[in-house]
Amino acid sequence: MKKIDNELKDIKEEDNMERNIEVWEDLVYIKDLILALVICSTTALGGYFIAPKGQSKPLLFGISGAIIGFVICALLIKPKRILVEDSKES
Amino acid sequence: MSIALILQMILAAFAATIIYTIIGAAPGADETATIAPVILVLVLSGMNAMVILSFFISAIVACKLIDAVPVSIAGIPAGVMSTPMVEHAMLLKKNGLTETSIRKIASGAIVGTLVSVPVSLLLARVIVPFASSIKDYGNLVFFIGAIILALLSKKRWVALASIIPFALLIQGLRYLYWGVGAVKEGTNVSTSFFLGITIGPVILTLVELLDKEKRDKMQKFGKNRIYLRKEDELKKVPNPFKILTKKELAYSALASLLGSVTFLLSPVGLTTFFGELLAGRVKDPVEKASLAVSCMEALAQATYIAGILIPLIALGIPLSPVAIGPGNPLFNAPPVYTLEDNMHHILSNGDIAWATLIGASIACIITYFVTVKYSKQICTFVFKRIPHEALLGVFFSLVLLLAFVDGGWINVAGVFLIGIVAGTLHRMGVNYGVLFMILYSAPWISNVLAG
Repeated sequence: MKKIDNELKDIKEEDNMERNIEVWEDLVYIKDLILALVICSTTALGGYFIAPKGQSKPLLFGISGAIIGFVICALLIKPKRILVEDSKES
Repeated sequence: MSIALILQMILAAFAATIIYTIIGAAPGADETATIAPVILVLVLSGMNAMVILSFFISAIVACKLIDAVPVSIAGIPAGVMSTPMVEHAMLLKKNGLTETSIRKIASGAIVGTLVSVPVSLLLARVIVPFASSIKDYGNLVFFIGAIILALLSKKRWVALASIIPFALLIQGLRYLYWGVGAVKEGTNVSTSFFLGITIGPVILTLVELLDKEKRDKMQKFGKNRIYLRKEDELKKVPNPFKILTKKELAYSALASLLGSVTFLLSPVGLTTFFGELLAGRVKDPVEKASLAVSCMEALAQATYIAGILIPLIALGIPLSPVAIGPGNPLFNAPPVYTLEDNMHHILSNGDIAWATLIGASIACIITYFVTVKYSKQICTFVFKRIPHEALLGVFFSLVLLLAFVDGGWINVAGVFLIGIVAGTLHRMGVNYGVLFMILYSAPWISNVLAG
């Protein structure tokens, strides 16, 4: 029960506002999306430019940058999904 | 093959399995968009071809197998490929059979893999004698491929009408780059164009967001509510062959065989067609749904594996939706691989078979175990911790990076343009396959038009 209460509270507090849009079959909040695009692009290109010269090093640094950006975004941004556990099918 | 190489292949397959078990469970994660850029990077970084291949096969198998989870638990397709299964998986869910649904799908995937690997290796041998004549007409084949795929798609006239204009856009940009000296004359920028097409729908939406009127008009949502069903934990991991009834096993094997033979056609179309055909005659709805999901998954897995292995072994040009989509960098990733010198030319048939076996078995074992035992935990983790924004962000940044690597800032702008056009065409109903085929036949089309 406690869990369900928490879920319900979450739903209420987590702005009941309808502000998310659908991009590629899931919901995003525009501001968060822009934030994610900026963070990942910066880390990816940043990695590419600071990498030491070499055959494949810049690309490898760039990709690592993109992955770091992904992790940062995953920590900063909350998914726009609510999980509801139901013990019986509705 | 040295021990070090085998170890590297195992490690690569292991890494791919873990990465794509997570990514594959995320809603809307299209296989082309999630696998192609990563493979491309591996190719460009100069990694051994066999290691890349086992990574790729493992990624494909894991990505497909894990589909079972979001579809069965939440009725959400994890990619285009699992869309046809949703209806049947939802019926099972309604009857309180979520766990059964997951297990049936996962077992179907195993059957599909087991059948399609040997069948594809065999089929490839049959095709080899005709390979050179098919390749002689390579350009024409892509052009005809574009037309056939266009005719097969729902909006066939729109797709047909888009072939020449889109080819001109691609060639136009290439000549522009040569003209201003951004790219050496004769070098065709193709990888980043390919990615531009893939991410087109996202670029188009981003552009639309700049228009306040459109932005206000867009349909707004609260949060995506996902209903999870409470399930008891499994103590033991069951044998995949015992999960399927005899009929399901036989039909899944038959579906896998059909899927391997028809590797040239669109996997989604095939899955729907054969899945409904095979399961259609069963009356009992639960039995029918369970037969449908296992067959569809087996078939999807088989078309994927055959779609990559046959062109790779016999042809050396990406002549299937899978090879032209997620597997594209195995065939064409200049300067490392070109259509004249790629994985097909570098690896022997034995090499390809080994890399496939290692990749497929590692992914099957791990992902099957994880899917059946930890389905709920995976779903909860992905849905609660991986924001869709982060996935979009990382794809976008990969495209940006590779566009820059391909041709500098001017190509970043060019890829953006391709994205807008491809996104618009995609929204009008032209599918990715047609657009990719156009990308390949663009030089030929423009030469023919110029006379």
